[in-house]
Amino acid sequence: MNTAILGIYEDEDLMISALKRIRDEKMEISEVFTPYPVHEVFKILKRKTRLPLATFLFSSLGAILTYLFLYWASVLSYPLIFGGKPLHSIPSFILISFVMMIFFGVFLSVIAFLVRSKLYPGKKVKIHDLRITDNAFVILIDKKPEMSSDDIKLLNSILKEHGAIEVLEK
Amino acid sequence: MYNTEIRGPLITGDKTFHQVTEDICHPIDRKPGYWWYFVLLLCLGALVYGSWALKITVKDGIGSWGLNNSVSWGWGIINFVWWIGIGHAGTAFSIFLLILEQKWRTSINRAAELMTVVAVICAVHFPILHIGRLWDGFFIFPYPNTRGPLWLNFNSPLFWDVIAIFAYFVASSLFWYVGMIPDLATIRDRTTSKIKKAIYGFFSFGWVGSSQDWLRLETLNWLIGGLIAALVVSVHSIVALDFATSILPGWHSTIFPPYFVVGAILSGFAMVITLMIIIRKIYKLNDYITDSHLNAICKILIFISLIMGTAYATEIFIAWYSDNEYEMFTFFHNRVTGDYNKAFWVMILSNAILPQLFWFKKIRKNLTIVFIISICINIGMWFERYVIVVTSLTKDFFPSNWTDYSPTGVEVGLFVGTFGFFILCILLFFRYLPMISIHEVKGVLKYKINK
Repeated sequence: MNTAILGIYEDEDLMISALKRIRDEKMEISEVFTPYPVHEVFKILKRKTRLPLATFLFSSLGAILTYLFLYWASVLSYPLIFGGKPLHSIPSFILISFVMMIFFGVFLSVIAFLVRSKLYPGKKVKIHDLRITDNAFVILIDKKPEMSSDDIKLLNSILKEHGAIEVLEK
Repeated sequence: MYNTEIRGPLITGDKTFHQVTEDICHPIDRKPGYWWYFVLLLCLGALVYGSWALKITVKDGIGSWGLNNSVSWGWGIINFVWWIGIGHAGTAFSIFLLILEQKWRTSINRAAELMTVVAVICAVHFPILHIGRLWDGFFIFPYPNTRGPLWLNFNSPLFWDVIAIFAYFVASSLFWYVGMIPDLATIRDRTTSKIKKAIYGFFSFGWVGSSQDWLRLETLNWLIGGLIAALVVSVHSIVALDFATSILPGWHSTIFPPYFVVGAILSGFAMVITLMIIIRKIYKLNDYITDSHLNAICKILIFISLIMGTAYATEIFIAWYSDNEYEMFTFFHNRVTGDYNKAFWVMILSNAILPQLFWFKKIRKNLTIVFIISICINIGMWFERYVIVVTSLTKDFFPSNWTDYSPTGVEVGLFVGTFGFFILCILLFFRYLPMISIHEVKGVLKYKINK
């Protein structure tokens, strides 16, 4: 039983015109695979990411935790004066917190990205078409039980009309 | 886009997407030429020498270096700062141009980022070895210890160095690797060898190129790029503070942090251009690393070299203007004239004067001269650190402390060893990884006028 329709394009603009048409027909596009990021696709598929917010939170967390640790270590845990400097040395603490803010922000954002996109070393994936990472733009539409055979025919014709080099049912 | 109207197409030769993949993956598919094995052999030779020096340093201690009571920091810190400088510009290049939306970075950023990661690894060897008792090296990290717990001196720039370089290394390695995931997937999908498919498949993290993943990856690159840009500036400023917080004439100066950051960018950009000319020549990637790319880097070098020249002049001026006799002595009798004047003039010539030749278009177009000048800048930047470290330490406030300094074979060995390691990593990179970012180049392929 075929469960999905794939339209394969070799041109970014043709693929985008097909996407727009499918969107106008009120059909649901499951995913689009491209060899490089195409911003128009993000807009059409209404893709969003909350990664900036996550990075902001991670960085803030890093800075605050580091500052608290430094304060605790130098003022509470072992108060030792050296070089006549105050126990609570604000300039040094800010500097260290700044670096750790960046470290936390970068490190945890990368982890968040990998977790959210479910990417990990050695992951086995189903590759729809080997050309995606080379030169193919692939529109993937899942077949739903409520889709009639006319809908599927219409989809096929839309994909072809807009210059798909191949339309596959998988 | 106004930048391309001036610059013309970023990638020449009317390439298709498929051709881009083929061209960039070509070196990975075929066996490397004889030159590759020859250079590999040289690297291994350097590594053998380096390992011998490493063994002596660890077994016999720092006494095997040419250091003495006055010159307590010699080649170790010089090489450390030099490598960190080179390591800086890789990321500076990639990230500042990313933030400034300079699309021409796409052909060069991958190699520049690799350079960063490897150069930082080379750099950290020196302070780690200078600890002397390597097995106690973990003392530098704040951990719940049994000595009180007695914590570290958080006011010391040496501690700031540790965390800054640690953060910088982790962040730039991640930035480099994450950007490479889609390209590793490209190799996975096109290779026919089962072993290669398994290995590249493992490291490509199951990348399929879906729109959601692309959006996240692109956002992530921007985010961590922005964060690392701040780190680039702060790390080398902190390295400069190792010197500037002391009271030695020639070091005790507020100009040091910006001066070091600019110096790092100058040496790193010079190394980028050296590397790019080599890649272009060997792999015939002229359509990707075009004359216009090299031209642009040369123009940046003019500007940075001007800042360097101004910094040198400012230092000398302030030494005179301060009317401090120790400062006057260090700058006028120990650097400009005196025992170390050759090193000083090599530094001025190669960092402040030679790059000014790039004002002439003919010189920018002649890649042999560009290559020679880029090598000169790297040598000049090494001498800059030499001048800073050695002239200030050999003759301090107390004439009875005055000594000379020359490195021993062990110190030279460590430097040669890091060189071997650096070139070895670059050779492996040429052979096994896509040296130009495939997906980013495809993204700018159609970036022409009227778009």
